[in-house]
Amino acid sequence: MTELFIRLMRKPQGFVGIVLLALIAAACLFGPALAPYAPEKIDFLGRFRAPGWQNWLGADQFGRDILSRLMVGARSTVPLAFIATFVGSAAGATIGVGSAYLGGRTDEAIMRTIDAVMAIPGLLMALLLVSTLGNGAGNAVIAIAVAFAPGMARVTRSAALNVRNQDYVKAAIARGEGAPWIIFREMLPNVMAPIVIESTIRVSFAVMLFATLSFLGVGAQPPASEWGLMVADARQYMHQAPWGLIAPSAAIALTAIAFNLVGDGLRDALNPKDER
Amino acid sequence: MTPVLSIQNYTLDYISSVGPVRVLHDISLEIGPGEVLGLVGESGSGKSSLAWALMRHLPENAREVAGSLRLGDIDLQRLSPGELTRIRGRRLGMVFQDPSTSLNPTLTIGRQITEALIQHRGLKQRDASSLAINLLGHVDLNNPAAIMRRYPHEISGGEKQRVIIATAFGCRPDVILFDEPTTALDVITGARILALFARLRRETGVAALYISHDLALVTRVADRVAVLERGRLVEQAPAADIFRAPRHANTRALVDAVPRPERRLVHDKPGDQVVLAASDIEVQYGSGGLFRDATPPATKKIGLEVRGGEILGLVGESGSGKSSMARALTGLARFSGKITFDAHEIHRMRDMNAAYRRDVQIIFQHPDASLNPRHRIDEILSRPLKLYGGHLADIPRLLEQVRLPASYANRWPHQLSGGEKQRIAIARAFAARPKLVICDEITAPLDVSVQAQIIELLLALREETGTAFLFITHDLNLIRQIAHRIAVMRRGEMVDLLPVEDFDADHVHPYTRELMAASPVPVG
Repeated sequence: MTELFIRLMRKPQGFVGIVLLALIAAACLFGPALAPYAPEKIDFLGRFRAPGWQNWLGADQFGRDILSRLMVGARSTVPLAFIATFVGSAAGATIGVGSAYLGGRTDEAIMRTIDAVMAIPGLLMALLLVSTLGNGAGNAVIAIAVAFAPGMARVTRSAALNVRNQDYVKAAIARGEGAPWIIFREMLPNVMAPIVIESTIRVSFAVMLFATLSFLGVGAQPPASEWGLMVADARQYMHQAPWGLIAPSAAIALTAIAFNLVGDGLRDALNPKDER
Repeated sequence: MTPVLSIQNYTLDYISSVGPVRVLHDISLEIGPGEVLGLVGESGSGKSSLAWALMRHLPENAREVAGSLRLGDIDLQRLSPGELTRIRGRRLGMVFQDPSTSLNPTLTIGRQITEALIQHRGLKQRDASSLAINLLGHVDLNNPAAIMRRYPHEISGGEKQRVIIATAFGCRPDVILFDEPTTALDVITGARILALFARLRRETGVAALYISHDLALVTRVADRVAVLERGRLVEQAPAADIFRAPRHANTRALVDAVPRPERRLVHDKPGDQVVLAASDIEVQYGSGGLFRDATPPATKKIGLEVRGGEILGLVGESGSGKSSMARALTGLARFSGKITFDAHEIHRMRDMNAAYRRDVQIIFQHPDASLNPRHRIDEILSRPLKLYGGHLADIPRLLEQVRLPASYANRWPHQLSGGEKQRIAIARAFAARPKLVICDEITAPLDVSVQAQIIELLLALREETGTAFLFITHDLNLIRQIAHRIAVMRRGEMVDLLPVEDFDADHVHPYTRELMAASPVPVG
């Protein structure tokens, strides 16, 4: 594990990604304590104040400090995206490995169902689920997890099909091991590399999907300082105060880039052929 | 006489994370015109590194410490990339181990041969094509014009190796490097390739470096044999002498480890009661669909019996269905037919109960693949104990049984050598205290000396436990040393099932005789 971390830090993209992630994690953990203002503190004299010494990233239509809102909002954006990806990946990976293990007609049935689900675009799927389950951040997590699971199942299955043909799985079948043991202990650990890589890349999608849902008004609800919601709110005042739009968009982009870089770095670090 | 290829005091290091590792120590070799030098060594002895060094295709972390490599009057180490391109193929040819990966799957055979001829001999397209057809005919391929239009996946492994040999000889190089050219092929195909090699050599007088781990085989093709041991050259002698009078201890160990059918290792008689009887076993992969016919079965109504404590050999070339039998008997492949085990009748995979699974164990060919890389040794060995009853405290005893230290329990499979991994796989099989162990080519990927140790271990375990073995192999010499009876399979059918003493008799099937002729019995 530590060896993997060292290898990851040696890659430039891994290093930059890890540093960015550490900054984001710091914002999630200590954001409210470090923020210069309270996120909902309204200042009527400072409406649409341009970035400067008072408000480093400017202020919005109610004079709320954008930097403070971003720092506090990190907590409601990044961890939720992370949880959604984790739940979606875990579900998808289990389905994928299980499908590869069962094989034959069952595999065919599961994968064709997944194909059908994947035909619906992720965002549309999430919208559909949120509108059925009701608005709110918790439901958005479920919606994103469900939207992610089929893709993960596919990636995992293709890796698991190779593992399925390995002799150690055959040996386990021949000695009469049960399906749960074979799926979770024999096969799953050997397909972890593609799952981890795929999930880190998907976290960035989740951040954006979350922001999109909030932007459309079905995710987090005002006055929460969720980043997507901040973009949605600032849209009306785009010409008066472009910083209100740019700052949260940049935060979303930065998070997505950080996770993408770590994903890229992990792909190289987990590749055993790269061992020199 | 000036040598065609000379290696002087060559020393090579690989830079690894723990510092430089020396792979070749002060190697000096010469190959005269028209001479074939055999280079023998176990895996990891550095023989392939030497071949790559000669081809100037070393990995990035290789450091040449000292010595020179000369092809005629050319210093190979001083060549620029452009000059190298002109040397490779043109003056120094190479034939690789695995023919299935050395041809480009997206180009036709014709394209690949003519490209080499145009590049290296400066021929026009039309001349190259007609020469290629000539060359393919010369390596005994039927209908060369048709082969030219085919893609690599449309011809067999033996045919692919012939194509590669034809290409290598067609460019008329001074020296050809052969890196285990028959290892990936089955015995009979390999023997034919060797015969072809001998003929082409006589005709062209090309010099060659023949690399192999198989001492018996090398003594048949080479004029001189050099033995490599952990990067050191320990012995060089004419091929005929090395078997009769090996001088170095390492060479002697190699010679002794070569299986010889006349040296029996098992002297007892098997019991009378039948442990496992299989009849009419037919394995079918993939059922016919709406638009395609069913593939022919991999085994056709095979019947065999294994008696208590017996070693039953099952031999045949690749694709003969011998592994399919192992899979059917262990419930890894769907089959039809009947297996009787302990008065318990089995007709389908589902009939195999826990008792059968415990009593019939299988050991696979590749120890790398049969041990889960993410499990420690103790976890691997604990599974059969948990499933079939036993105490985890038995793990040190299991390790000791296969002559491994108890400290290995905490290791990962990748920290073990191939032979040690195979011992773990054997320990896992014996942890269940089985009545029958099926060994599916378990010694094929191992060196001869390691193979001899594994065989010795299996025989010792058999003494202790009285277990019967179904020993699947393609090595007829090896199985004649240990088996009580041998079954010979060919294309899914059993052609012979004889007690081992009858193998020298006249009434063996012609195919069995061909198989025996193809297994190189060491000279001397």
